[in-house]
Amino acid sequence: MSKYNGVHVSLEQAKLLVEYLETDQQEKANELIAEIQNPINSELFAEIGKLTRQLHDSLMNFQLDSRLNDLATADIPDAKERLNYVITRTEDAANKTMDAVEAIFPVVDSIQQQVKAVNPMWGKLMHNDLDVGQFKNLCIEIDSLLKTTDSETAKMHSLMTDVLMAQDFQDLTGQVIRKVIDLVREVEDSLINMLTAFGISSDGVLEAKKPKVGDNLVEGPIVNKKERDDVVADQDDVDDLLSSLGF
Amino acid sequence: MDKNMKVLVVDDFSTMRRIVKNLLRDLGFTNIQEADDGSTALPMLKDGEFDFVVTDWNMPGMQGIDLLKAIRADASLAHIPVLMVTAEAKKEQIVMAAQAGVNGYIVKPFTAATLKTKLDKIFERLG
Repeated sequence: MSKYNGVHVSLEQAKLLVEYLETDQQEKANELIAEIQNPINSELFAEIGKLTRQLHDSLMNFQLDSRLNDLATADIPDAKERLNYVITRTEDAANKTMDAVEAIFPVVDSIQQQVKAVNPMWGKLMHNDLDVGQFKNLCIEIDSLLKTTDSETAKMHSLMTDVLMAQDFQDLTGQVIRKVIDLVREVEDSLINMLTAFGISSDGVLEAKKPKVGDNLVEGPIVNKKERDDVVADQDDVDDLLSSLGF
Repeated sequence: MDKNMKVLVVDDFSTMRRIVKNLLRDLGFTNIQEADDGSTALPMLKDGEFDFVVTDWNMPGMQGIDLLKAIRADASLAHIPVLMVTAEAKKEQIVMAAQAGVNGYIVKPFTAATLKTKLDKIFERLG
């Protein structure tokens, strides 16, 4: 009984086989059987051989593609460094700015205080209500106020310039981040190529994965608020949500 | 150094253009225009009778070094002093810029004082 479905054997071959067996020509009979089975086997073997070669070639290509190697050993560590640079620069900029602002506050306050101190006397002057002695005092105080304002506003100008310069982080970090985006794009393309090479459809893979509550609750700042329907837009939304729940 | 001179600030990051513009204003320059790439800057220069260019290097369309070369190659623009303000800090790039005829090279991050110093030097040299 034939184990192989679809074995193509002709009546002539079958008759010949019986003849060989009846005449005790075992070898010839074996040869004939081998010949009959051969086409199927050799087809199978040819297919397996082709697949093996394809697999071998694909694997060789991955090894030969030093781009992948570079990505893993150099570019991705480089990208991590770059992103750390972004964290550092933005932190520095925030601190520089706050330093300048914190230095400006007392300067502004001190000018305000001095003005407030002088105002009552000045008011009296405007109402022609000062004697000569008081007027002299007022002049001295105003003189001092002018000198102070002069130097303090110069200081403020310099501090404001510091604030301005501190914003240079945006340009530098922007350039760095662009490079990282390029790298991510390259890795993404490589991964998709790998998937398609192994016959896995990338359609399902490319579908944007929305994080579900419980998957990873802590997400950090939402960078694409407009595309999300599960986040609040601002503080008013938070307050509305809480009050709608009775808090 | 005539502070009324027409200045063109070229950088693909608007924040950087804004910083440079503010610094220039602080130094007394009042006539400042902006371009976001070498490729948009060049036609402006050809049309516009500018007296000074401040440019970044790394820009997507036409890089600063190519803008510089284009300026030096154009008879009507070759005389314009060019100051590069850029994060590009490799020695060979600095040399390249110098050989291409840049008048000053400032590396980011920079200070307001540095900008003033370099500007003074450029216009001192030009006499």
